[in-house]
Amino acid sequence: MRLPRLLQTTAVRLALRYVLIYTLVLSVALVALFWSAQRHLDPAVKFDLERELAELQQRFDYGGSTQLIEAIATRNASAERRLYLLVSADGEIRAGNLHDWPDEAEITPDGKVDGVWMDDEILPRGWFGDDAYLPVIAVRLADGSRLLLAQGIEQNEELFKVTEYLVEVLGIVVPLLLLLGTMLGRAILRRMDAIGRTASDIMTGDLSRRVPVSGRQDEFDTLALRLNAMLDRIQQLVNGMREVTDNIAHDLRSPLTRLRNRLEITLLEPRSEADYRDTLRLSIADTAGLITTFNTLLEIAQAEAGNPRAAVSSVDLAGLVRDLAELYAPAAEERSLILQVSADTEALIAGNRNLLAQALGNLLDNAIKYTPAGGVISLRLDYSPSIVAIVVTDSGPGIPAGERAHVLERFVRLESARGTPGNGLGLSLVHAVAKLLRAELWLADACPGLRVTLRFAKISSP
Amino acid sequence: MVTMRILLIEDDRQAAHYLVKGLHECGHVVDHAGDGEDGLHLALTGRYDVIVADRLLPKRDGLSIIRLLRADENPTPVLILSALGEVDDRVAGLRAGGDDYLVKPYAFSELLARIEALTRRHQAVPPEQPLRFADLVLDTRKQTVTRAGKLIRLQPREFRLLEFLLRHARQVITRTMLLEQVWDFHFDPLTNVIDVHISRLRSKIDKEFDPPLLHTVRGRGYKLDETP
Repeated sequence: MRLPRLLQTTAVRLALRYVLIYTLVLSVALVALFWSAQRHLDPAVKFDLERELAELQQRFDYGGSTQLIEAIATRNASAERRLYLLVSADGEIRAGNLHDWPDEAEITPDGKVDGVWMDDEILPRGWFGDDAYLPVIAVRLADGSRLLLAQGIEQNEELFKVTEYLVEVLGIVVPLLLLLGTMLGRAILRRMDAIGRTASDIMTGDLSRRVPVSGRQDEFDTLALRLNAMLDRIQQLVNGMREVTDNIAHDLRSPLTRLRNRLEITLLEPRSEADYRDTLRLSIADTAGLITTFNTLLEIAQAEAGNPRAAVSSVDLAGLVRDLAELYAPAAEERSLILQVSADTEALIAGNRNLLAQALGNLLDNAIKYTPAGGVISLRLDYSPSIVAIVVTDSGPGIPAGERAHVLERFVRLESARGTPGNGLGLSLVHAVAKLLRAELWLADACPGLRVTLRFAKISSP
Repeated sequence: MVTMRILLIEDDRQAAHYLVKGLHECGHVVDHAGDGEDGLHLALTGRYDVIVADRLLPKRDGLSIIRLLRADENPTPVLILSALGEVDDRVAGLRAGGDDYLVKPYAFSELLARIEALTRRHQAVPPEQPLRFADLVLDTRKQTVTRAGKLIRLQPREFRLLEFLLRHARQVITRTMLLEQVWDFHFDPLTNVIDVHISRLRSKIDKEFDPPLLHTVRGRGYKLDETP
């Protein structure tokens, strides 16, 4: 896994950010503490230094530099953390444990104690720390030499040591945190990559691929499951649409070819105007048939794909059935068919009035077409507490048991129906609408004839 | 047949060409715009009896043209042509201010019949007055029909059917229009249901009377007229 990508993951970024913030805050705090501590001049220390300097000065006043040097040597031996330095007028170091005069130490006429930075190099060997900031007092003696006293502070040294330890610890902890963050980042990236790879595969055309689910039931799995559900849906829609194009291409070829042939043949030789008119009229009829077939195919495909554009609302089946019966009654009567209707009580379902009308219209069209004169067509609603069923029964030839599943496919027409007008899409539309509206479709023998049942779940008033 | 001034807003050149030609041959005057902006401009500045607008147009879509027309208080009837055929699409079209909605592909005779019906609707008859044609009188308040003074008994649906034909007297009305307006159905039955309803109505209002008023126009539809 390449570093730049790793650095881009949220996990690593967060880890880095936190580590940086904490390190910064800690460092600043420590530095501030250290700095202020060092510069803080304890009054006791100040007093001590002033007193000792006064004593040493007295010695000098009484006994000259020799006495002073001796005094320094004595005190040096006993005082643990005191620094001394006596430098002659010409710069020669006469006494003391400091190696050199600190650059910043100033001689003040009244002997003030000040904090001064002592470099590593001038501190004596075995001193309790590295370069430090120490309280210093310095004075010029009568013979031109300079005397300096300084005090090492134990707490500061402790503080310094602690700081050193902390820095070392940070040195271990920070890389460790970074490593952990990186590992976390990689784990996340791996899961992300799995999703990404599935997406690439799908883009190259394999719609059957799905995002792997690890079984850990974490957020990634939830995401994967949702994506897979979405992909299932997309695949279903794509297949539906593929079927439409396949069907349209395949099944409209014949009528289109017929149409073209008729027109071409008519043009082969000069014909009478009446002949031309006939051809045109028949061709218009052909195109009307083609358009109907085309539209029905689209409707079926959309219904099968669960077309969300077909709005579902509350529909009263009883009202719809009565309206349709009233529409078809005269046509039935004209063919000496009896149309019986029974749909008295309101029955609300979640549906689409237009699609339902189309489906029932198809069933009635079929019933009228196939029932011989003198027969009976019955259109009724069967009520039960939670279900309402539309039952369309005719007394025609019916559909043999073995063919009942087959007729629901597109463009299927039974042998017995050859020669009657129609395109074989009627029942497949009913089937598609039933599926879309979640209704059960049953085909049964009415002995004689066909009984088509559509069962819907009732809904309460809107 | 009254000459109509029609504005056609259609970006499909070939379709527009044939439509303009066909409408000309029927005796109408047609202006054509090839995109939504031109169409809107013509609609706002011209005076037309009816506008035929495709829904999907370059530069400005059909529904937006209608909305602007209505906002400008222009009541010119608009027939929407659309490849979008779901019921919700037609509801949206009509809500935007359109007066009729025809789904592609459509038959020219259907389009013609609907255009003519729209212009008639535009010159509306006050709803309460009885409808008269020749010696046929339909009273919507009393729900009675008489011809030559004689009362004719009609079923409720036959009454509605006759009322629709009367409101569009002398115009060709297609089966699809009847199915939509009188039955509120938007599908195409294979059975000749409308034909039989019409012939029943005809036998009631024409058989014993003279001249026959309810005529079948072959290949197109029906019309109420003194002469076929």
